[in-house]
Order: sequence, then structure tokens, then C-alpha cells
Amino acid sequence: MTTRIQFNEELNRLHHDIMAMGARVEEDLRKALEALRTGDTGLAKEVKAGDEVVNAMQVKIEDQAAMLIATQQPVARDLRELVTVFKMTDNLERIGDHAVHLAKAARRLADDPYPRPLDRLQRMASTGCEMLHQAVTAFLARDEAMARAAAARDDEIDAEHKAFIDEVLAYLAANPGKAQQATRLIATSSFLERIGDHVTNVCEAVVFMATGVHVELNE
Amino acid sequence: MNAFAIGPGRAREKAGARGPSRFEAAVGSTPSGNGAAAEGPALETRNMNIRYGEHLAVRDLSIAFQRRKVTAIIGPSGCGKSTALRAFNRMNELIPGASTDGEVLFHGVNVYDRDVDPVELRRRVGMVFQKPNPFSKSIRENIAWGARINGYKGDFDELVENTLKQVALWDEVKDKLKQSAYALSGGQQQRLCIARAVALQPEILLMDEPTSALDPMSTAKIESLLDELKRRYTIIIVTHNMQQAGRVSDRTAFMLNGDLVEYDDTKTMFFNPKDERTENYISGRFG
Repeated sequence: MTTRIQFNEELNRLHHDIMAMGARVEEDLRKALEALRTGDTGLAKEVKAGDEVVNAMQVKIEDQAAMLIATQQPVARDLRELVTVFKMTDNLERIGDHAVHLAKAARRLADDPYPRPLDRLQRMASTGCEMLHQAVTAFLARDEAMARAAAARDDEIDAEHKAFIDEVLAYLAANPGKAQQATRLIATSSFLERIGDHVTNVCEAVVFMATGVHVELNE
Repeated sequence: MNAFAIGPGRAREKAGARGPSRFEAAVGSTPSGNGAAAEGPALETRNMNIRYGEHLAVRDLSIAFQRRKVTAIIGPSGCGKSTALRAFNRMNELIPGASTDGEVLFHGVNVYDRDVDPVELRRRVGMVFQKPNPFSKSIRENIAWGARINGYKGDFDELVENTLKQVALWDEVKDKLKQSAYALSGGQQQRLCIARAVALQPEILLMDEPTSALDPMSTAKIESLLDELKRRYTIIIVTHNMQQAGRVSDRTAFMLNGDLVEYDDTKTMFFNPKDERTENYISGRFG
């Protein structure tokens, strides 16, 4: 006999909403990446508007999850799943914020272009998008291994971040008048590095949901 | 000091028993056996089977209950949890056709040994039932009567007051101790029944769905009480209320179809149970 039909339906609805929020953040991140690549300032405005949608999604999802805790008294895996929902939305919202920062930085960099290719930032952003997609998929599939695999890619972002900072510092040494531009570039790289950390947090939450064990991934 | 002159007890006196009971011999000079020095489980079953006629209600149950902890036994109707509970102080013997084999060890003594006095056992391992069942006597006598027939030699006023204070009922009834217990509300009656068991200075309190007939406020009072009582007593509670098990117990045992499926710390059982059947039951996916 199938019981708790309503609860299962509500959980499914939450899954759908988390998927939509993840997709929206991923889309904003890709737009910010595109803005960075092309200097298209119109995209930056779209990312800002998208972030407001993401913030509204977070409130809606967290209200739904809180309501389920209050009315359905979930325990065990169900409870861990709802606890994970809060961690997911919190980190997805922060990634959305970083996408906005990234888009703003893209606009400023368009006014004062960096004379070298921004390949490393592109790769960091691209890896971040892929990690995010994989982490949300791992949540939906309750797949611990997939979450661990997604988090492992944070090392790629960290390595690019470190290499990019070295590159910018060398650029600054050769061009002392470009301190403001160099600072913006380093800040941009830091936003991307933080995105990797937030996706790692999501992955840790998914592992916790699947196993009940708290883990530190990528220490 | 323990004012009980528990030794033989009336049943043993009637039976002409001499010398210390099995439990006294095992516990030493502490009649309640509830001293802080006591070690090991408060009660333990080994390979216990309980049958009602041909029907095997509890199968091969081996479980140890930790001293001064609240252990909840949960499981769907008919899983054997109340049957198991009643076996711990031989209440099943009062049910025609019920038979028990295996061991129930209390102070290392199998309570089913022939020379164990069930009356003394039930004083040391008290029981509180689903529905409040106070005696048709005054509030005071509900406390004093059981103690008196069990040989209590101390000050009865003191016993009544102290016991009612232990169950947080004193302030509500201190001015009407001579009134009938039936004049109390359901929740108060249940606390009186707990007091009645506590007055006998038991070591273990068995509780069979003690709040299922009570409203939420009375239930909350009993649950708060359990937290206080476990400082002195080992409590084993059977409950259908999953949230209650989560709130009040330190350890939880899950039974299904007469089997003990899983037994662990309550927080583990409710947050990360190991057995899929436990997960499904506590999540409300069957039962």
C-alpha cells in the first residue's frame, strides 16, 4: 500500500522547484560568462534581473520546505532531504549573487579591456556551470557518487584561479598603472573560485542527504 | 534511606518463604537496587519467545535496556511490542494461553525462575497502562495503599507528598488528597497512576501507550515528567506516537511481525536508520 501520497507529491514539487532554481542560476552564470567573453553590457542587466527571480525562488522553496516540516513531521531520509533543500537554496542563491558580480565586472572590464585572453576565467566559469549542473542532478537522483565527482572538480577551478592570479600579478608588475584593472580581474577570478566552493557545499549536502554522514569535500 | 521493609513481601510470606528474595540476594542490601553503583543493563532478554496458544507473537527477542534511560519500543499494531513489554514483569502470565520461553534477566536473575516472586518483581518493575486506572479510592490512598501492602514502614504523609511531587501533581491535588481519584482529569489520573508505581520505589517503569488516551497538554506534561523520572528510574515505553518516541526516548527499538528489526540511539533511528524497514515505518510509508 502506498502511503503519504500528499507528502510524496509535495516532495516531488520541491524537487521540480530546486531543479528550476538550479537551471536559472546556471543560465545566469552562462550569461555572465558570455558577458565576460563579449563585453555585452545588455547581458549584465539580464543577469541582475535573473538574480531577483532566483531570490524569489529561494523564498518560495524554503517556505514550502518549512511548511512540510511543520505539517508532515518528516524523519530520517525525508528530514535529511528537507534539511538539504535549505542548504541547496542558500548556496544556489549565493552562486546567483556571484553571477551578478561577474556580470558587473564584465561590464567594467569592457570599458578597460584586458589585453590578454580571458581563457582561464572562461574555463573556471564553464567548469563551475558543469559542476552546478551535476550537483543539482546528484540531488535529484540522491546520488552520492555523482555529488562527490562534481565536488572533485573544484580543484580544477582552484588551480586556474591560482594560475590566473600569478598571471595578473605578473601583468601588474609590467604595467604598474593598471592596478585598478588588475584588482577587478582578481576579484572576478575570486567570484568564480567562490562559485566552486558553493557548489562543493551543495555536494556535501547531497552526500549528507544520501548517507546521513557529514563530510568535508575538497579540504 | 529506603523505608520499605521489602524482604519477603506478602506473597512470599504467604508462601512461607524465608531469607532474602532472589533479587535481594542479587542486589545486596539495597532494596530498590537503584544505586548509582549499579552497572550493566537494567533489564535484558535473551532469546525470548512469547506465544498466545500456537501464535508466536514475539520471536527470539534479545535486547538489553540501559539503566536510567528512556527506551521506546515502536512498531505497527500486532508487532509484539506490548506483548514483549508485559513479559518484562510477567504480566503476560495473567493472559490465558500466553507462554514465554527464553530469559528475562533482572539483576542477573531470570524473572521466570520458579522461585521468583512475581509480586516483588512487579514492585521493582512497575507498569503504567494505556488508560489511567486509578483505584476507587482517595488520591492519597492510591499512593499509600500499594506501599502499605508492600510493607512500607515510613511516614505515609511524606511518601504521598514526595511521590506526588515527583510526578508534578502535588500542587494540583495537595488540598484534596481525600477526594476520590476519579474526580481528577484524565491527565491527572495518569500522573497519579505513575505516582502509584513510583511510590513503590521501582527500578524500572514499563509504560504501555501511557498518553494515547490523553489530550496534547496532558501528554506534554507526562513527556516532561519522563525526562525527570529517568534520573531515578529506567523507563521502557511502548508508543504508537512516532514523534513522542523521538521526543522522549534515548534509545528506540523497532519491532515488526514479532521480530526486533533495529535498536539504536533514538537520534540515529530517526535521522539515519540502517534498516530500510525502519526507514519506511518511521517515515509513515507503511504501518
